[in-house]
Amino acid sequence: MTNFIEILIRGLMLGSVYALVGMGLTLVWGVVGIVNIAHGEFVMLGAYLAFWAFSLIHFNPLLSVALAIPIFFFAGMTIHKRITERLTKAPELSALILTFGMSILIWNLAQFFWTNTYRSVPYLTGSFPFFGLVFAKSKTVSFFLALGITAALFAFLKYSRLGKGIRATSQNSEVALVCGINTMRMRAVTFGMGIALAGAAGTIVSLQWVIFPQMGASYVSKAFAIVVLGGLGNIQGALAGGLIIGVLESLTTQYWSAKMAQIIPSMTILLILLLKPTGLFKK
Amino acid sequence: MKNSSGDRNLIGLGISLLMAFLVSVPFFASDYWMTLLVLILIYTVYASGWNLFSGLTGYTNFGLAWFIGVSGYVSSLLIADHKFFWLLAWPIGALFVGIVSIGVGYILLRIKGVYFAISMVALTEGTRELFGTEYLEPITHGGKGVPFVAGISLSALYWSILLLAFMTVIVCYKITSSKFGLRLMAIREDEQAAETLGIHTTREKIIAFVLSAFLTGLAGAIHFTYQNYIDPSFGFTIHLTLTPIVMALFGGVGTVFGPAIGATLFTFIHEILWAELTILYMAIFGGILILLILFFPQGLLGWMKERGVLPRIRKI
Repeated sequence: MTNFIEILIRGLMLGSVYALVGMGLTLVWGVVGIVNIAHGEFVMLGAYLAFWAFSLIHFNPLLSVALAIPIFFFAGMTIHKRITERLTKAPELSALILTFGMSILIWNLAQFFWTNTYRSVPYLTGSFPFFGLVFAKSKTVSFFLALGITAALFAFLKYSRLGKGIRATSQNSEVALVCGINTMRMRAVTFGMGIALAGAAGTIVSLQWVIFPQMGASYVSKAFAIVVLGGLGNIQGALAGGLIIGVLESLTTQYWSAKMAQIIPSMTILLILLLKPTGLFKK
Repeated sequence: MKNSSGDRNLIGLGISLLMAFLVSVPFFASDYWMTLLVLILIYTVYASGWNLFSGLTGYTNFGLAWFIGVSGYVSSLLIADHKFFWLLAWPIGALFVGIVSIGVGYILLRIKGVYFAISMVALTEGTRELFGTEYLEPITHGGKGVPFVAGISLSALYWSILLLAFMTVIVCYKITSSKFGLRLMAIREDEQAAETLGIHTTREKIIAFVLSAFLTGLAGAIHFTYQNYIDPSFGFTIHLTLTPIVMALFGGVGTVFGPAIGATLFTFIHEILWAELTILYMAIFGGILILLILFFPQGLLGWMKERGVLPRIRKI
């Protein structure tokens, strides 16, 4: 029983990081209308940011999160203004293929400059004992970091002026425009926020798993499963979806096999799209 | 009128000459050029097959590798484990994926837009993982893969794929200029309106989907016989989906000859890039994709039609 609870909690910890990636994807998809296949590559770049900051100048990886958010936010806004904004009226296929091109461009460049070597940030090692359960320090700290960012995101969307503008754009872009909201700017800000979430997730990921140029692919497939689970554009749904995927992965790895755990995202996508294509949660 | 029939004769003559040349290639070309041509023809079928469904209906199929991989696996296993003759194993593989596609299309073609694309990716990835697990290992050999020798000469392989590519282009031509093609394009432009006009959209989509699966599946079977090897990550790689899409985009999505032209040009580009810049190949490939979408979304033939170099008809 203790074992089971430990696995469950590990799954939730895992899921909190997946949720960050998924929330970024669903936010951009819902508000900007662009399916960003390159989303996982920004997770990878975030992880490398933390790695290089740590190994070159011994920058505290926990602080890298604070460093990553503004950097990735402005990078995302620039990418949107320069490239993806032209696609808002193009067919969906265009955005899919363009962001796919972006994805392979980014990972191949990362491979070229930083090689395929597996890297890690040996910062928080060891574990916390907790009522007879044992949790890795890095994972516990990651969990609370992820939860903190999630809470900040919810508060931002709910209470700030900009957040309200983003929600209005997502609900009805035309009416929002008529009401005097600069929807073009809102879309750019949202794109930036989505990328910032991916980057922040990447720095958190760097604390616990290996870093390599092609790591983005596994995160983006999980993020798609999360978006489908939670319903398109549904942030709360994405949080729940992330936790579900994390727990499922943790349980499958433990009680079945690690190989089967890799099938979970694609199976989830297929099942949900067949049975309840609007996602599990009401918006 | 007279002029137009004269044009037609000229085009007919040109095509016959091209075919006569292509058929006679094995008698004088080196193995290098033969393998290059085999790849061009395989990708012509892939790109045209993708275009046949996605270009006409507007449903983006991101699971072309699934057609290729499933048919490739079935035919490779038949040749490797059951000692089938290659000419028999290929159509069985293609028929298998065609029949399974009826069910898959029936279920997945209800899903629209990006969700359809993602569900096809999920199907491909799921199948890839499944084929590598220990549960299917007795049949698929798991992650070890299936090495085999089909005992086919390069010339025979070349003629087979040439025939298939020719047939595929003919099928695309016939369909695009038929009423069936018009109905598919009506689905692309406005599915709801097409349905109100009395088009049985689900049926039409499934027919196009299965036809696309059969043709690309057949090319996939030939592809892996040519490679003499298949394994899960090789048979279902995302590149088998994306390269044909890029080729179709390059030549012109929804046109008849665009994908074939795109396949030819792109195989040469690939050949040069791969030889010169292997390490940055994917980055350049990605860069080309981005530039194509931003500045050249209508493709070569679409652009020529816009400029009035080619007539704006469906038959090209």
